[in-house]
Amino acid sequence: MKLSINGEIKEFKQKTLTVKELLELMKYNKGIAVALNETFVLKTKYAETEINDGDRLDILSPIAGG
Amino acid sequence: MVVKNEEVWEIEGRSFVSRLMIGSALYPSPAIMAKSIRASGSQIVTVALRRQSASSLEGGNQFWDIIQELGVTVLPNTAGCHTAKEAITTAMMAREIFDVDWVKLEVIGNQYNLQPDPFALVEATKVLIDEGFRVLPYMTDDLVLAQRLADIGCTTLMPWGSPIGSGRGLMNPYNLKVIRKQFPDLNLIVDAGIGKPSDAIEAMELGFDGILLNSAVALAQEPIKMAKAFKHAIYAGRLGFEAGAMQKRDMASPSTPTVGTPFWHQFN
Repeated sequence: MKLSINGEIKEFKQKTLTVKELLELMKYNKGIAVALNETFVLKTKYAETEINDGDRLDILSPIAGG
Repeated sequence: MVVKNEEVWEIEGRSFVSRLMIGSALYPSPAIMAKSIRASGSQIVTVALRRQSASSLEGGNQFWDIIQELGVTVLPNTAGCHTAKEAITTAMMAREIFDVDWVKLEVIGNQYNLQPDPFALVEATKVLIDEGFRVLPYMTDDLVLAQRLADIGCTTLMPWGSPIGSGRGLMNPYNLKVIRKQFPDLNLIVDAGIGKPSDAIEAMELGFDGILLNSAVALAQEPIKMAKAFKHAIYAGRLGFEAGAMQKRDMASPSTPTVGTPFWHQFN
């Protein structure tokens, strides 16, 4: 399946993944928050939230801000 | 000189001594950022969220480590959001990462002057308050907008002094004065546009409760020294407001007593 991750198109051989599986696959660690198709996904829901072909994920982390 | 301000200021259920909220962006280096924040005496630091790749976070998040070491309270923003939905999602992500229930809510309506969109701001504020957030809305200096935001539950308002990063000071002191007068019980912060310490003093003398700034310190020739200048300016402005300024007069009035004036000038 094809996913847009932080604005970049990436291809995965899996047909479906949970958010938890995707983060592990991409080696994301702590200190992040996730939105799936512009909707926030609670950390506690990573294992049960499915990602499908064409979905968009935003994975954010703290940066400087004013 | 050591500024001692024993008075505690309360905002959104939290207590602070400093009335300066400072941004963490645009400093020449992370070390200068940390020193400037310390020098400012600020206890509230604004932070943001952005897309980051796994590889860039491999060794941890250096910026976030520095902020945590400062022992300050963080105030996440929703900078860069252009719709209510984007701002709501970003606020929720920030609450999870930073573990705080307050947010500086920014919804930009115009790319040229980064003017907040008042309609989307009210819409997003309503949703976030229902979700249990304490919302600090970054807004224009519009009295009716202030009323709408207060009506839906905001207890802090953050009108701009002038556009973000412009350093133009208070464009419209009259509007700020009216908002202060109409909302004596709300916390009012001038957010954005402050360029010089005198701009901050002006806002504090109007009775504003605090100042949020970033570029004025980060882009100064000597950020650490400027951070100190703002610390003193905001304190001085607050004291000046509390003390109450004298009335302006058209005519001069001698401050030295005239009784006992010697022979040079005898007015009868």
